[in-house]
Amino acid sequence: MTQVTYQILRNDGKGGVPHFQNFVVEIGETEAILTGLIKIRNEQDPTLAVRYSCRQEICGSCAMRVNGKSRLVCSRLVGTETKTHNNTIRIEPMANQPVLRDLVVDQTPFWDRYRHIRPHLILDPANPLPQGKESRMTPEQVDQFRETPRCIACASCYSACPAVGSDPDFLGPMALAKLYRFTVDPRDAAYHERLEGIQNQKLWLCLRCNLCVEACPKDVRPAERIVDLKRLANQEIGKRERGSKHSIGFLNNIEQGGLLNETKLARDSLGLFGMLGQVGKGFQMMRHGKSLKKHPPIQGLSEVQAIYADLNKPEDIKGRERPVGKGVKGE
Amino acid sequence: MTLSHDVLVVGAGLAGQRAALQAFRAGVDVGVISKLHPLRSHSGAAQGGINAALDPKDSVHDHIYDTVKGSDYLADQDAVEVLCKEAGPTVIEMEHMGTIFNRAPDGSLDRRAFGGASYNRTIYSADRTGLALLQGLYEEVGRDPKIHIYEEWDAVDLVVRDGRVQGVVAMERKSGKIEGFGAKAVVIATGPAGRVYGKTTNSHESTGDGCALAYRAGAYLKDMEFVQFHPTCLPHTSILITEGARGEGGILRNAKGERFMERYAPHFKDLASRDVVSRAIVTEVKEGRGFPDGTVHLELMHLGKEKVETKLQEIVAYARTFAGIDPVVEGIPVYPAQHYMMGGISTNPKGETNIPGLYAAGEAACVSVHGANRLGANSLLETLVYGKIAGQNAAEYAKTAAASTLGQTDVDATTGRIHQLVERKEGELPAKLRAELQSTMDELVGVYRHPDDLINAVTRVAQLKERYQNVHVADKSSIFNLNLVEAIELGHLLDLAEVIVTGALARTESRGAHVRTDYPKRDDAKWLKHTLAQITKEGPSLTYLPVTITEYQPKERAY
Amino acid sequence: MTVKVAYYPGCVAQESGRELDMATRAVAAALGIELVDFPTFSCCGSGFIDEANMTLNIALNARNLALAERAGLNTVMTICSTCQGMLTHARHTMKHDAVVKARVDQTLGKIGFQYQGTAVPKHLLQIISEDLGGAEMLRPLVRRPLTGTKVAAFYGCHILRPHDVMKFDDPEEPHTFEDIIKVLGAEPVYYRGRVQCCGFPIQFVKPETAQRIAGNQIREAKQGGADAMATPCPLCHISLDTYQKEAGKAVGEDLNMPVLHFPQLIGIALGLDPKTLGLPRHMVDPQLLLNKVSVSVPA
Repeated sequence: MTQVTYQILRNDGKGGVPHFQNFVVEIGETEAILTGLIKIRNEQDPTLAVRYSCRQEICGSCAMRVNGKSRLVCSRLVGTETKTHNNTIRIEPMANQPVLRDLVVDQTPFWDRYRHIRPHLILDPANPLPQGKESRMTPEQVDQFRETPRCIACASCYSACPAVGSDPDFLGPMALAKLYRFTVDPRDAAYHERLEGIQNQKLWLCLRCNLCVEACPKDVRPAERIVDLKRLANQEIGKRERGSKHSIGFLNNIEQGGLLNETKLARDSLGLFGMLGQVGKGFQMMRHGKSLKKHPPIQGLSEVQAIYADLNKPEDIKGRERPVGKGVKGE
Repeated sequence: MTLSHDVLVVGAGLAGQRAALQAFRAGVDVGVISKLHPLRSHSGAAQGGINAALDPKDSVHDHIYDTVKGSDYLADQDAVEVLCKEAGPTVIEMEHMGTIFNRAPDGSLDRRAFGGASYNRTIYSADRTGLALLQGLYEEVGRDPKIHIYEEWDAVDLVVRDGRVQGVVAMERKSGKIEGFGAKAVVIATGPAGRVYGKTTNSHESTGDGCALAYRAGAYLKDMEFVQFHPTCLPHTSILITEGARGEGGILRNAKGERFMERYAPHFKDLASRDVVSRAIVTEVKEGRGFPDGTVHLELMHLGKEKVETKLQEIVAYARTFAGIDPVVEGIPVYPAQHYMMGGISTNPKGETNIPGLYAAGEAACVSVHGANRLGANSLLETLVYGKIAGQNAAEYAKTAAASTLGQTDVDATTGRIHQLVERKEGELPAKLRAELQSTMDELVGVYRHPDDLINAVTRVAQLKERYQNVHVADKSSIFNLNLVEAIELGHLLDLAEVIVTGALARTESRGAHVRTDYPKRDDAKWLKHTLAQITKEGPSLTYLPVTITEYQPKERAY
Repeated sequence: MTVKVAYYPGCVAQESGRELDMATRAVAAALGIELVDFPTFSCCGSGFIDEANMTLNIALNARNLALAERAGLNTVMTICSTCQGMLTHARHTMKHDAVVKARVDQTLGKIGFQYQGTAVPKHLLQIISEDLGGAEMLRPLVRRPLTGTKVAAFYGCHILRPHDVMKFDDPEEPHTFEDIIKVLGAEPVYYRGRVQCCGFPIQFVKPETAQRIAGNQIREAKQGGADAMATPCPLCHISLDTYQKEAGKAVGEDLNMPVLHFPQLIGIALGLDPKTLGLPRHMVDPQLLLNKVSVSVPA
């Protein structure tokens, strides 16, 4: 047992100025941070507002910011924080959601994005599921879901996401990981519509910063599922949105010289019209010695091009098999 | 202000949502109030699986027999028959809704072994089957916004008048506002009451609210003395380690390295029913064959890293995080903890209670399909099968029932009571009383029950109820006032604890999970009957109800 | 002590961000790192190729690593957080995904490569921190300590995350860069944005959002009292320096924050010639910082 200072951001939810309040808690290093919060509620201040229920990382209630990081406090142990933070655990409510009181946030924006992706199976009326028995799905098909079934909707990822915080168009890690789960479901018939539905900013604003991967207590790895979705979208819809144009443009760019041709990439992604806006930037850059002179092709470019010839094929895009027999129903 | 629905479901776990979906499909207007977001319900914590005799080599009759035997013959066999017959269609329906289950190589639903079952009939989704079902069902319910879910509302009063249910008065957490929900029929599906105990696998929110509200409104509670202790829980935190771990081949060993279950259940060994395994563990530790920390070990090492980490992903994480143990290379220390209430609001196989218009399903209810001891993987099944039945029958009732008379006076009555509670200037904090209640139950009403302990428990619970009259709510805020919520919940826990200890003291036999040290044998002549508890001013009044036996006459139970 | 590494400068340091390459060569010489050039290295894909074709992305980087292996070098030194991320991701995938590995091995085999997995990609920051004795190895080399200045590190996501792949420092509360800043005599600025995204990946998707993100990070560093920011990632540098004017507009503030490349910061403290370090080639004049340590940037 050791003495740990819980530094908690209090907020009365009625317009008072949020302020940090310190509580000293007697607690073991291998105990959950949540245990300390419960002790504070039970022994020091029953007015502390905090959501929690299962205390075993399955109900998803108790996400908050711990020393700045979005974490589920029931499975984050005291010792993981105190060792590096001078025996202090700073706790703030999740980000990107309005605070109701103390550590409790209004999750409406989070659930709105979840609902936006139509989180339910969409069946093909012309090809119904087998009556009176289960639809068949091989273990390999189940494997395609990756870790998405583990998601407990705790919103840790949503709180950690800088894109969510910067642009209301972006759907955020959880909703997109959930959407991915439906795109690979062999029972679901809305593959194309689902990918269409997230085009432009809803999908492509992911920054690939991987903060959601660190925040997720269940290892769903939302950023990686978003990359999965981008691959599916590139394949299914092709070069239409700027995000698609940029990634496919980048792919083609490297094939030509082995290294990136920055000017050409900008032209491919932004289009001619978009490039006009960049002309001034080009001049500014050159004035500061930022040459945009493209470098000569690398030596061994033929090797790179041989890799392209061999691997720039639909079956290589996902790096693993597409769900076999999409839409296969029953025996 | 009052809102109204034809059918109001209280609780949004598996039973509540399934009831809501069914009532909606039956063509009535449905509202659901839940103190948690539906995906945060305790149903999601169920791990091991859901039983269904889907394999052609299996049979519904064997499932019925295993369940009746597991119940120590206290289950109503007509109700068990419904449960087991509906199991297959229920699982398939959930699969069609989108639930992601593990699959066999041929693409069919994979099955695993489970305790007390004579055949591998447990369909599963790794070791998070409850979560998988909860997601699938919530997705289905969410298809239609016409099923109105009131999230984070605590049911505070159940209003019964003129010989029927009239609705519920509830309080919204985020605003503190109190509103009436008039309803022609109400389905209680508020799940477990495990927090009567301190050492429980149940979530902090498992406080038996609906069960207590129904009891106070005059509904019978059935068989509340039957409390299941799950054999394999982590010490300190009481976090559940699924029976599926033994279903996949896990073995229990004592400190001497003995596979001790061979002595207690020569045939079923580690997969005997839960009451048997829990007693064995308690006995091993009591007789000095446990590890120094008072546990036995659940070993999975021999199953191999790949199997353990894929099929038992969650419990591996729990063991690593909460016990600092890696199950791939070492045994997991385990000891029994409270896990499930076989008892609950007494219903018949139609989900009806003794109050017209009041229905119940899931762990809050007692049909009874589990009798004196529930088989693993039958509880998820019960939530869905009887949730659907209760929802259907509630809808049918609502179609012909008169409008609810719930009105402002009911809201005012509740508001007055809450205000009185909040305005009290001093008294004992709910957390303190709750801690005393929990230690009382942990110490005195456990796996083995001594008569002196039970008498002691009755006294202590009565004293706590007395002190509760002066419970103090320190938080005066209207926003997310959890202190108020826990004071209300504590009232529920105390009422239920009183029924549990009263029933346990009265039942002078040992059956299933109820084991009396002074009456170690099952006594069918005197006790092959259900306990019914009804509220009176003097406390619970007990009466008894015969068990429905159709096919399987009671016989000696051996595993 | 000298170490010999395969030098992987990445695209930007060979085009718009040549000052990074210049500074790296100067600093490497001073630290005893022998750089072996590979005119055969291709682009790492910057995460974008991964979005377009997972297998191809792995194969390109496996080839880069195999080139170093063939030359008998066990370290591929990167100077870009993103390159570091992509090369490490490829090495990780080749180690853990047998299906992808088989496909890539087959393709590489056709062009005469056999990937072994012996070459490890390491960023210069990592080489100093892990192989050369940590920040302290710089202390005896400091000629012109940055005393009296405050420097805000900006890590760049891919050198840190995902941590189970990158296995470097702490993914959300790193310290290696700040350790070096301290040894160089400056005071580090700790701010949340130092581990966040610079906005670069969506510069071409939605520039105003990208710039608002960059602007917020710079503003936060400024509020922390930073005289300059420094980054081990040239893509972050583009967002923070090249597009700083736009970033300032996006957050409604004249930011005027010099942003240095990681080796430039070391180079200044080591007393290297500002011109050799490419300091004149910035959009925001680093003179603001240099004034404080009495160095002047030639026109």
